[in-house]
Amino acid sequence: MGTAPGIRLFTLQPSSGVPIYLQLIQQVRRMVASGQLAAGAELPSVREVASEYTVNPTTISKAYSLLENEGLLQRNRGKPMTIAASRRTSGSLPQRLKQVEAQVDALVLAARQLQLTAPELCQFIDRKMGEDS
Amino acid sequence: MTEALVSTRTLSKAIGSKSILRDITVDVSPGSVVGIIGKNGAGKTTLMDILLGFSPATAGTAQLFGHDSFTLPAAIKDRIGFVPQRDELVNNLTGRQHLALTAALQKRWNHALIERLQAAWEVPLDRVVFKLSGGERQKLSILLALGHEPALLLLDEPVASLDPISRREFLREMIAIAGDQSRTVLFSTHIISDLERVADVIWILRNGTIVWAGPLDTLKENVVRLSIHSRQPLPRILPLPTALTQQVTAERASAVVTQWNEPEAQRLRLELNADIEVEPLSLEDIFVEFHS
Repeated sequence: MGTAPGIRLFTLQPSSGVPIYLQLIQQVRRMVASGQLAAGAELPSVREVASEYTVNPTTISKAYSLLENEGLLQRNRGKPMTIAASRRTSGSLPQRLKQVEAQVDALVLAARQLQLTAPELCQFIDRKMGEDS
Repeated sequence: MTEALVSTRTLSKAIGSKSILRDITVDVSPGSVVGIIGKNGAGKTTLMDILLGFSPATAGTAQLFGHDSFTLPAAIKDRIGFVPQRDELVNNLTGRQHLALTAALQKRWNHALIERLQAAWEVPLDRVVFKLSGGERQKLSILLALGHEPALLLLDEPVASLDPISRREFLREMIAIAGDQSRTVLFSTHIISDLERVADVIWILRNGTIVWAGPLDTLKENVVRLSIHSRQPLPRILPLPTALTQQVTAERASAVVTQWNEPEAQRLRLELNADIEVEPLSLEDIFVEFHS
């Protein structure tokens, strides 16, 4: 299921303070989360997006690569990129941990300044994660 | 590491006792599109002139393709295209004559490309240049710089006289060039919204010095406006080492910083016991903040 030319899948605003690659990443993530883009759905090529929205291809290609690293997109030889089959199994544990590293760094910094110990914090995280499941 | 295509080291230029450029050290890697912004008189045109070897540096070095700009070999010059701020067209020749003369001087010339662009941009080729509008002259100057498909293209405010539709057509062409990793563009303009589309690297020139040189994405991620609301009186000067501006009243403050990131946010929240809202800034806002 490709996208017909001229039909815009994304809303990219070059003059926003949010870099274009981040806008694109956030929109793909949202569309996948909401089921608007299902596994196997094809994405327009870097060249198509760059030309359709009149934006530099480098920023689009950066977004696609980061989404691929996240395990959300799958690169296919000579064919359009597609939404990956399953997010859960994609990416090794170190890769998935890497994605939360910045938040964890911030959390650790805050915990140190509030003089929370690692066990206290872990217990709290355990409880929070239990709430959602 | 790929070798820089354009490279300057502590480049300075003075005319008489007047300093025009100071201590400029930049590198451009192949395949990038560099947008140069600065107020009138900031030194953009002088910088391009020195890069192209039209004028010598007073101190420091400028190199293109690894060769000193002031003594560029002819083979290197063939790989460069330039659109000057003020066109160098001959008033009593037609556009067609200009194209024929330029094509004859070049080793290669993409006739199909120029025909396509001439039609898309509606450049009247059979009228003498004297009778063309400012925008038409500008489009013709751009065609003359594109025909030999230069590996390095320098454009000094190429779109100042173009209407929005023509500018968009021009941007489309720049984006096609940007997609070719073997081609590099340096582009100065006051139309900052164009750079947000086409540039991947931004240089901000202020009074002859470069106050920012780096990826556009990084610039937008790092330069943000903070709205700070504390639960206790704030210090009169906030602990913000990279602040461009800050205004502080008793418990509220607003500041623009140039090196924002999540650890810095956490540090500040705790240090000031404050809520901090982060507002991303457009390139135009960022440019203005660098000048306040």
